[in-house]
Amino acid sequence: MLKLAGAILVLLSGTLIGFRQAARYAERTAQIRQMLHVLQRLETEIGFGHTPLPDALERAAAGAAEPVAAIFRRTAARLRAGGAAVREALRAAVDESWSRTAMREPERTAIVRLGDALGISDREDQIRHLRLASAQLAAEEAGARDEQARYGKMWRSLGFMAALLVVILML
Amino acid sequence: MLEGLLNLLPAELAARIRSLPANVLDRLEEIRVRRDRPLEVCHAGGFAFVTADGALSADPADGWRPDAELCARLLERITDHSLYAMEEELRRGYVTVPGGHRIGLAGRTVLEGGAVRGLRDIGAFNIRIARDVRGAARRLLPHIADRAGRSLLSTLIVAPPQQGKTTLLRDIIRAVSYGDWPMPEARGWPGRKVGVVDERSEIAACVRGVPVFDVGPRTDVLDACPKAEGMMMLLRSMSPELLAADEIGRPEDADAIREAAHAGVPVIATAHARDLEDARGRSAIRRLIDEGVFAAVVELRRIGAEVLFRVRPAPAAREPTRQAGGAGAC
Repeated sequence: MLKLAGAILVLLSGTLIGFRQAARYAERTAQIRQMLHVLQRLETEIGFGHTPLPDALERAAAGAAEPVAAIFRRTAARLRAGGAAVREALRAAVDESWSRTAMREPERTAIVRLGDALGISDREDQIRHLRLASAQLAAEEAGARDEQARYGKMWRSLGFMAALLVVILML
Repeated sequence: MLEGLLNLLPAELAARIRSLPANVLDRLEEIRVRRDRPLEVCHAGGFAFVTADGALSADPADGWRPDAELCARLLERITDHSLYAMEEELRRGYVTVPGGHRIGLAGRTVLEGGAVRGLRDIGAFNIRIARDVRGAARRLLPHIADRAGRSLLSTLIVAPPQQGKTTLLRDIIRAVSYGDWPMPEARGWPGRKVGVVDERSEIAACVRGVPVFDVGPRTDVLDACPKAEGMMMLLRSMSPELLAADEIGRPEDADAIREAAHAGVPVIATAHARDLEDARGRSAIRRLIDEGVFAAVVELRRIGAEVLFRVRPAPAAREPTRQAGGAGAC
């Protein structure tokens, strides 16, 4: 009886770990997509709305889900508080929130690099930088989607299989 | 008022300004930041350089020199991190920050088809501190009052830069709007609806459409609007009983003022000029004066902290002007 309960527990947790890993791949794709939407909204606010950057960041963030929205919201809050340049504010916000996202280093680099240019040049230049960052993120998104298709499925079955192996060995 | 401005400046710069002697801070007029050159302040007519530990010195060699990084940060902060939204401001060469302080900019101009499109490599900032002096116009108002109309005469205020034109104009607007007439015979005159075209956001210093300075309860402000168009818009939409505009001089401004005068609305305007004769050297203003649009011309001169004014009847006024004049302090 006890053995059976243990086996079920091992199977359950193994499967869960597998699903969790698979979900991280899906999350990364979704978050990069969110990020792309934010950049697109930012481009509209800057290019057509002439909205001041703190407002533009907040409005762009309002349409996105957490934890991506938090990065931009926190940047806007830092700018409002005064003292920080956009570069520092965005970098600090990324440092704070990044661990809560499923995104990886290339995405981080693209966003931080965007921060170096945001707000300090004319409209065309801003749009150019936003498009460049978007292009980089889009490339990452394609890669992430590939990985999701390949490893997502693998992790889901791997978790269950590994747990099953452990159970068989224990029996 | 100064504190709000200092919070906007980068910390190193603000700290050095804050450590200036109190009597200088009280009368501070301009902070001039030039990249790699000594920091300068102008106060009550004089000027001095600021040293690295926040003391004053007459010798430029002692001055603290803001570097390129500080200038970049200053520019970022005064444009609210949004240089891209400031194209119009860069074309005109100045930015107005919350509080009504105007920051003049100089750098390398960007040309497009021979016309100035903007500025880049900005290396010089002139931070002009806006002052709100209540009662600045009390001495002047009796001289430009229209006793028959129980309002003001159309008046042109001329003075070189930095003599207190805008401060005076703001107080005139406030007094008329509140109905706060200083003359004894004006008891019972009502406050008037005042329309202000605040092209440079200096008169009312609007932040998101709401004036920061007290410009009176019956005042409508069209913020950051070109003067000529703005005056016509106000005439049509807000039924003003007095129009006010800062720094007129372009031909289209003159057309709009003429239009307002014919609509029976007096206009109070300021212009850059040394005196009446000098103002007549500018063709748009000369035509207005010659046509008798303005009933009075006020010349301002500042000696130390005191502002002196002289009221001169416009040469070809349509209605006989009284022997106004004399000098007074306000």
